[in-house]
This record gives sequence, structure tokens and C-alpha cells, in this order.
Amino acid sequence: MKCWFPTLLAAIAVAAPLVASAEATLRVTAIPDEAPTELQRKFVPLGAYLEKAIGMKVSFVPVSDYAATVEGLAAKKVDLAWYGGFTFVQARRLTGNAVPLVQREEDAQFHSKFIVSAGSKAKSLRDLKGANFAFGSVSSTSGHLMPRYYLLKSGIDPDKDFAKVAFSGAHDVTAKWVESGKVEAGVLNESVLQKLFDEKKIDPAKIRVLWTTPPYFDYNWTVRGDLDPKLVEKIKKAFLALNYSNPEHKAILDLQRTHKFIPTSAENYKSIEEAARSAGLIKD
Amino acid sequence: MAPERPSRPWLLRWPGLLLALVLALSYRGSEGDVSALFSPGARKTLADFVRGFWPPAHSPEFLSLMIRPLLETVAIAVLGISLAVVLALPLSVLAASPSALSPLAKRAGPARRLARGAARLVLNLMRSIPELIWALIFVRVLGLGPATGVLAIGIGYAGVLGKVFAEIFESLPKYPAEGLAAVGASPLKTFIFGVLPASMPLLGSYTLYRFDCAIRASAVLGLVGAGGLGLQLELSLKMFAYDEVAALVIALFLLVASVDQASRLARRRLQQSSGLLRQSLPIRLVAAGSWLLACLAAAVFLRFPISELLSLEAGRSMLAFASAMFPPDLSPAFLASVGPAIVETVAISVLGTAIAAALGMGLAFVVAAGHRRGEELKRRGRGLSRLGVNAASWLARAALNLCRTLPELLWALLFIFIVGLGPFAGALALGMHTAGVLGRLYSEALEEVPSGPSLALRGSGASRSGVAVFAVLPQAFPQLIAYTLYRWEVNIRASAILGIVGAGGLGKALLISLSLFQHHRTLTLIGVVVTMVAGVDLLSGFLRRRVQEAGTHTENERAAEWAGPPAASAGAW
Repeated sequence: MKCWFPTLLAAIAVAAPLVASAEATLRVTAIPDEAPTELQRKFVPLGAYLEKAIGMKVSFVPVSDYAATVEGLAAKKVDLAWYGGFTFVQARRLTGNAVPLVQREEDAQFHSKFIVSAGSKAKSLRDLKGANFAFGSVSSTSGHLMPRYYLLKSGIDPDKDFAKVAFSGAHDVTAKWVESGKVEAGVLNESVLQKLFDEKKIDPAKIRVLWTTPPYFDYNWTVRGDLDPKLVEKIKKAFLALNYSNPEHKAILDLQRTHKFIPTSAENYKSIEEAARSAGLIKD
Repeated sequence: MAPERPSRPWLLRWPGLLLALVLALSYRGSEGDVSALFSPGARKTLADFVRGFWPPAHSPEFLSLMIRPLLETVAIAVLGISLAVVLALPLSVLAASPSALSPLAKRAGPARRLARGAARLVLNLMRSIPELIWALIFVRVLGLGPATGVLAIGIGYAGVLGKVFAEIFESLPKYPAEGLAAVGASPLKTFIFGVLPASMPLLGSYTLYRFDCAIRASAVLGLVGAGGLGLQLELSLKMFAYDEVAALVIALFLLVASVDQASRLARRRLQQSSGLLRQSLPIRLVAAGSWLLACLAAAVFLRFPISELLSLEAGRSMLAFASAMFPPDLSPAFLASVGPAIVETVAISVLGTAIAAALGMGLAFVVAAGHRRGEELKRRGRGLSRLGVNAASWLARAALNLCRTLPELLWALLFIFIVGLGPFAGALALGMHTAGVLGRLYSEALEEVPSGPSLALRGSGASRSGVAVFAVLPQAFPQLIAYTLYRWEVNIRASAILGIVGAGGLGKALLISLSLFQHHRTLTLIGVVVTMVAGVDLLSGFLRRRVQEAGTHTENERAAEWAGPPAASAGAW
């Protein structure tokens, strides 16, 4: 026993440099609002494009916990992150200087959709009292924060008025749960719902959209506040240069489910922060 | 007064009535609803499951997708258990009773006693917090990836290993240590040359035994992003891709079964040997070397960020995270909201354990009966009926293994679809997994029962079920109760995390507080879990002692207290 531990330590010391890599890379992550395999697939062409545009190696760090992406940026473990509105607000509050660069044009006018199974008799949000209800992830803007905000506004306290509240963890799962009747109602972001219809992963005859929220600012690409400003500028330019009429770019944009990226700023997310505060999800 | 052996088991006296009351309350508390299990909806879901399971996904694409997570699961378990041993050894030495290490000293000094208390506290803390909660915390500090899984398993298991190691040190004969101390050896030398050599086989076999569990734990940790099979399994389940689920379950089953078999062989060798240190040098070197190689291979395969982990920055961010949790949120409003979740968690653990005891007992009887009948028929040379009995016994064993292979959380994901969200799904999940564990322990206990009374009853014309109830069961009874109570201690930890997937209890509050960066609440909740676990440990320990005192076993006290690896490990499963 005595002789094992020094050997072990020596072995670790020898192996450590083999294991760690020191090359300068831009580390990118994304909140797992969809299946991580799906996120990775979506990122491949975008990553290759960014690599060429900024002249630096780009690597994707897959994550299965929303909050971990926020901690990751704060701990400088990632440089660029795809956030939802609420995770951006959390990141901004935690770091003080995270900068939102760009967003898809749709993200400036984003909506959540409340869905019920086709047989449901509910006609408005109020009719959902006493139902089993599914949000997406706790940290999701379109799957939890904004829906909770609007539920409260229409007089439903999710913690008291629903029979059961569950967090499915991701938008596509919420849709599946409602389709299968596991929950009577749920809420998810419009763009994932559209994708599920387009790809025929959800049977439109089995679910019905009950209500759509007013528009709000959602997803964006955010960088660490202390990243080299020149690099930040290059990243921003690269996103804005994506052009839907260029077939190569079209492939990238299609995977991101948009036609165009537009600049954004932290001011756009003040209303999200207000909503989070009034829904009790952040406290000061 | 010498205790008369009661003519009726205590089940029919007041402890039994109390048990019935507790079970009824738990059934209500976890929103038990047997009819939900047999509702048309549930039947349809089950039918969908069964239809969807066959054939399992076997496209080359999917199979190749499975290989890496499978290897990751093993690699995380290897590194995790190694870390656990490294952490547990020094702590267990400190936590062992001072008389085990310096047998000649009349009374341990205050420093030694303080160190012992501190070590025991640390071990208890590490043990009380479920691995998944450790993982949820480390995921924040270290980011995603295998390091999180390794640390979560390492710390969680160090708690259990340390406790059992200390018990092993205390249970050994003291003569070698006394001899060494008498000729003036220091406590450290006394330990290394007087205690450690004799305890090596037990330490080794217990560690190997825990390795099985680490594999399962590592598969589950994928759910929180620590890599491994769990993530893929959760995705496939949630997306209703049952054929993929089937393939993944089969893969996990084969993995656990083969590790189980390998570790059983290794343990048998270890128990026959007289201790690793007394083996010849080459064997020792080969054993140590292959373990090191396995660790190294695992580290390289996982690209384990050792230098990053040992860096100042990692230490600082860990400290920052820990200090952000203080002070705990003790506001009345929050505490009031935690209350019902605590009740629900306890109810889930009790009902789950009860379901497991009933189901496990049924299967264990089939296994054990097959074993006994097989022996009997072998003597009489009746080959054909032996085959039938063996088949039943083999099937029951396979059912137990299957129950055991899938961890509670994955069973919970399944049951949520059958009976809906909520604590009842959690209790059923806990019941299924634990049935596999308990069933195996029960069957071993039943097989070891002396056959005298059974033969006597058989000889006087009792039916087979009569023999089971009146000859086999009473003899094994105290042992069975002890195993069940041990499992309850484990299950209270498990039921605290089921809420993460929507199966009731404290887990949901924990998930919410972690997601919303409400660290003060997280700390409160962790405190609640630790207190609950400690409370259940105390209660269950008290009950076990009572049962053993009332039991009819005539073995000496030492054997009852330290029933060898099986009994101690029952708690660890």
C-alpha cells in the first residue's frame, strides 16, 4: 500500500500533460433547450464557418444543464454561449459584464405557445386550473419564465392552481408529454413546436394551441465581458455576414431556424429581468 | 427472563399493527393509487412499451453511438471508485476506534478523540448526500464532463467505504497490533504492519463489491450531464424511442452482469487468499499495476482534466460556490414549503421499501425453493422435474437481476409514463429497483437457513408452503428484517432525488433552487436531506437491534453485529 500512492501520483503527473491541451480555442456552448445530440448536429456547420471567419479553432462544449452554461461563462470555461433571455439575465447578473452580440431576427419577437391535448375542453388559460401541467426547463425563458409570468397575470398561480407541475426539461419533451396525454397541458417555444410539426414528429391532430403569449426578446449569442474586443468584433461580424441567398450560409441558417442574425444589446432584456422578478424567479 | 420463542411472529402484535399504520400513511402520503397501475391508459402505455421494445434498436449507427457512453460509464466508475478508496483510507483510519490502532493505550488523548469525531462527521456527510446531488453541485463548479461524475462517485462512495473500512479495522483480532505496540511500534507502524495486512482481503472485496454499484451510479449521473449512458437513456425514454431504450437497457444489463461476475470471481480469490500483502511480490505488483493501468487508461480515455482540477482556480471557484451557499435560507415561508416535501419523501421511501420487500420476498422464495428442491431432486436423481424447478429459479434470478440493473431514477422515468407524475411513480420505482437488491439478499439468507427444521416438518407430512412458512421463514426472519431496514436507510437518500425527474419528494425543490441560483435554499435542502438520512439511520439502527435481540439466532453478538460483507454491503447497495 505504501508504495502505491507515490507511484500513482507520479503516473498522474506524467499523464496530466498528455490529457490537457493548451491550444488557443474559442469554446462555445449552448443551453440544452433541445436534445444535446441535436444541438451538436446543429452546431457543426456553424462552428466550421466561425473557425474560418475568425481564424481560430472553435470547439463545442456540450452541456445538459442550463445553469451550468451560466456558471461556465462566469468561471471562464466558455467564451461564447447561446442563451435564452432568462439565462442571459442570469449570466449578466452573475458576471456583471457578459455582452449579448447578436440574435436571430425572430428572437426580437418571440412567443410561447400553451398547448393542450386535442380532446381538452379548455378555452382559455383560466380553464387550466386543476390540470397537470408541464413547463420545459426551470431555467427556460419560453418554456417557464414568460409562461409563468403570463399565467400569474391571468390569475393562475402555477404552484397553487395546478394539480401537478412538472419540468419536462426540454421543449420537444413537453410536446411529447401533451401529445401522449401524460399531462393535460404544457407550454413550449413556438419555433420548436413549428419544427416538430414540420418534421412530423408531433401529430397536429392530437394537440391544440390554446394561447400564444405576446412577443418578448429571447435567445441570443453572448460573449464573456473580458474577451479580446477585436475577437468579439470578428465574431459579431461573422454572424451578421451570414446571408440566406448564399447556399452555404443557407444551410447554416436553416439549422439555426432563421433567415438572418441581427445585432442586440443588454437593454433589450430589461423586460425579461422585470418579468423574472415579478414571477419570483429572481430576487434582490 | 429467557425470551420464549413467540408462537406468533410480532407481525400480529403491536409492532405489526404499527407497521400497518405506517404503511397505510405512507400509501396516502405518496398518493398511492393501485388502480392507476391497471387503468386503461396504463395498460395502453404498457402495451406500447412492450410493442416498442421489440426489436431493440440495432442499426449500426445507433450501436456505434452507444459504445462511447458505455465505455465512459465504466471509465468514470473506475476513476470514481479509485478516488473513493484514496479518500476513504486515511479517513477510516482516523474514524476507527482508537483501541484498534493503539491497543495498549488506556485512553485516547483529546486530539485523537477530536480527530475521530471529525473524521466520522466528514464520512457521514459524504455518505448522507446522494451522489446525484454531489454531481449537481460539481457540475456547477467544474462544468460538464467526466470530472463531475468521478468526483461525485468518489466523494459519495468514500463515505460508505470509509465507514465500512473503519468497521473492518475494529472487527479484526487485536493480537498482531498488540504485539507490535508492546515492542514499541508507533501507531502508524502498528496500523501498517498489524492491522492493514489482515484487513486487505476484506477491504479489497468490499471495494470490488462497491464497484458494481459505482457502474450503475455512473450510468445515472449522465442524467445531470456527467457523461455516460444515462443521458442517452433519458433522451430515448423521454422521446418515446422504446426500441432504443430496449437496446440501452440490454447493454447496461450485460455490462452490469459481466462486471458483477468478474468482481465475484475476484472476490472469491481474495477471500481465499491470506491477504494481498502476504502474496508473492509478482502477484502484488500485477494487481497494483493493473489497477493503476486501468485508472490511467480511464483518465486518458475521458481526457480527464487532472491539471485543471488541481489548479488554484478550481479550488477558488469551489470555495466561492461553497461560500455563496451560506447562510442557509431559513425564512418561515420557505421552510413551510419544504415541510410537505419532507413528508412526501419519507412516505416514498417507506412505501418503496415495502413494495420491494413483498416483491423481493416472492422472487427470493422461488429462487431459494429451486435451490433446495434442486438439491433434493438431485439426490433422488429425477432429472426432468429438476429441469423445471431450475428453470423457474433461473427465471426468478433473471427478474431480480433486471430489477437491480435499472437504477431507481430510470425506473422512475418509466413509471411516470404508466401512473403519471408524482410520488407514487417514485415509490414504485424505488420498489422495483430495491426488489432486485433485496430479493438477492433474501434468497441468500433463505438458502443458508439450516435444513433441520424443514426436514423435520417435511418428514411429519407438512406441505411445501407449510414448510416455507413455519420452518424456513422464522429462522431467517431477523436477517430478512435487518436487510430490509438497511435498504430503507439507502432508500431515503434515493427518494430525496427522485423529484429531479418528476417523481415526487424533495428533488424538485432542489432542482429549482439549483437552477435559479438560490444557493441559500440549496444549502437548506441539503441540510434537510442530511438530517433526514441521519434520523432514518438512527431509527433503523434502533429497530434492527430490537429485532436482533428478539430474534432466535444463537450466533454470538459479534457475528450478529458484523454479519460479514453481505450484511454490511446490504446497506451499501
